[in-house]
Amino acid sequence: MSFDVLLRYLPSLLSGFGVTVLCWSVGGALGMAVGFAVALLVRLPVPPLRWLLRAFVEIIRGTPFLLQLFLLYAGGPYLGLRLSATVAGVLGLALYSSAYFAEIFRGGFASVPRGQIEAATSVGMSPFDTLVRVSMPAALIAAVPPIVNLLIILSKETVVLSIITVPELMYQVQTMAAETFTAFDAIFAMAIFYWLLVEVVSRLGRRAEDRVTAYLAPEGARA
Amino acid sequence: MIAVRGVRKRFGEHEVLRGVDLSVARSEVVCLIGPSGSGKSTLLRCVNFLEAYDSGEIRIDGYLIGYEDTGGKRRSMSGRKLRDMRREIGMVFQHFNLWPHMTALRNVAEPLLRVRGLPTAEATERARAMLARVGLADRAEAFPSHLSGGQQQRVAIARALAMQPRLMLFDEPTSALDPELVGEVLEVMRSLAAEGMTMLIVTHEMGFAAHVADRIAFIDQGRILDDGPPREVFHESREPRVREFLQTYHDRNSF
Amino acid sequence: MRPQVILHSLGYLTQAAGVTIAVSFAGILLGFALGASVCAARVSRSPWAQRLGGVYVSIFRGVPLLVLLLFIYYFLARVGLDVPALVAAVGGLALASGAYQAEILRGALNAVPRGQTEAAVALGFTSPEIWRRVLMPQMLRISVPPLINEFILLIKASSLVSVVGIAELTRVSMNIASMTYRPLEAYIGGGLFYLAINLVLAGFGALAERRLAAGSAR
Repeated sequence: MSFDVLLRYLPSLLSGFGVTVLCWSVGGALGMAVGFAVALLVRLPVPPLRWLLRAFVEIIRGTPFLLQLFLLYAGGPYLGLRLSATVAGVLGLALYSSAYFAEIFRGGFASVPRGQIEAATSVGMSPFDTLVRVSMPAALIAAVPPIVNLLIILSKETVVLSIITVPELMYQVQTMAAETFTAFDAIFAMAIFYWLLVEVVSRLGRRAEDRVTAYLAPEGARA
Repeated sequence: MIAVRGVRKRFGEHEVLRGVDLSVARSEVVCLIGPSGSGKSTLLRCVNFLEAYDSGEIRIDGYLIGYEDTGGKRRSMSGRKLRDMRREIGMVFQHFNLWPHMTALRNVAEPLLRVRGLPTAEATERARAMLARVGLADRAEAFPSHLSGGQQQRVAIARALAMQPRLMLFDEPTSALDPELVGEVLEVMRSLAAEGMTMLIVTHEMGFAAHVADRIAFIDQGRILDDGPPREVFHESREPRVREFLQTYHDRNSF
Repeated sequence: MRPQVILHSLGYLTQAAGVTIAVSFAGILLGFALGASVCAARVSRSPWAQRLGGVYVSIFRGVPLLVLLLFIYYFLARVGLDVPALVAAVGGLALASGAYQAEILRGALNAVPRGQTEAAVALGFTSPEIWRRVLMPQMLRISVPPLINEFILLIKASSLVSVVGIAELTRVSMNIASMTYRPLEAYIGGGLFYLAINLVLAGFGALAERRLAAGSAR
């Protein structure tokens, strides 16, 4: 692949990267919000609601992301949703990740030691205050490592969006490859790019994790 | 102040409390001793209704806790009333149960802010005073993970004390501590007793019990077998089970 | 919504489900062979083997599966090897899964309480004996639940091989959608089959976890 080919396609590649980052961030943020809401709502003592939410999570976690995308993009119009590829892509990422985020937050809440909740109960704290002041902070801190992990996984899932023609990086690379007959080189470059990206983000993520969980040493630590 | 009458509780098939009678008067210090599995922690946790007892009555200053005082069919007490009652009861746990994401000061102030509804300035001031009371004024800004076990437990005591409860429950407060840290916690408890706090303590610290308690209650297999002043229970008990249990302590320590 | 669409295509979907399961199964078996080798490299004493193993894991966990599959496809074309798409697909799945399985196995190895090895050494066992009698059985036991989970992940990941034309569940759902102009029913049908497969696998996972944990009651 010659350098001026790359230069010619640089704008479209950069735009593709921008779309990737946009889809990943918006999809991830939406997914996190929805997932958190689901994790909170499933604690309510309303059996039909809990059943519905659990079914939602199981269905999304039990089917491939690509299938869900096709359902949204191709099947959407039959439900009255005429979605553009990018919107379908972002919604797909949000929906898909929300189920995994919900599980992460659920695990976070479950990991709060019962003793801390009993301490709040014994002092007369209301259930709301116990949730907001005791459970949530602990749950959120516990959730940071799996959240970082999921966000990294999500960044890799964005390439699947190219299949429904979302103009993200992979799509632009494949367009360039087709137009310039440089399929192998292009894909190879793409692979290297993603490998490095994921490696760097993983390391940064791990450092952020350590910083956040540092002061949460095991309870009863002897100084 | 605490009146326990005929309390029974079962966990599934296993009956843990089989008709317990116990009373603790104002400013009295009562130590609950017995083998593990005897039900002593369960009994303590029934007093502030962390565990629900199945039958019998537990009254705090005359008020029934956990159930509506209707005399007829048993009805659960409303959440709000239960919380109101719990405000007046302080509890200290074996594993401290401090909130790890809050500093020592915040741990003590939080109930004052959320439950008593005090303004921030007043809550902070009272919290600081309590921490000073347990000898940890200089560690107010430390997180629990940076404190030793003994320090954490003292913060836990300060947290319970700050609420100005009418009585305090202690669930094996020193069992999770390294031996050399036990003393500092017992010292705080001793001073509390001297000030006239009503205390019900589940403990293995026989020396402490002998010197600080007004009464010792021995519980085994869900029943109180002996109940009296330390001298009586430790040295003159008529119950063979009690003598058997205390024999090992007599052999190892003389008090 | 016309559920008859799903009923009419039951034959196609069932066949496609078979392809999905076969492809994923082949992927996980090959992946196990790869993963076990890489794991061995990573825990070996040779720093070269360790580094190579580490790079393998880093590459095949970092590169998205779709990119990997297309890369293999174009690579084989570039090099002139006429390999059927199926082999390329399974190869891609195996390479990716191998990286994750290597980590699962390594985690399982670390999860075996160190005291057991120490006890064996103190009793005079030789290294190969320790490996065969103490470490490996426990390591395998611990890794069964996460490996079953990996199988479930592979079933879902196999949907990507639809892009190289393999007639698995996702591709067949696409075909049904374009033949009947009813994408909703087509993809819901495919989804139901995926769910069924994964629910069965999850059931096995739960069973395995219970059976295997029983023997290790503390």
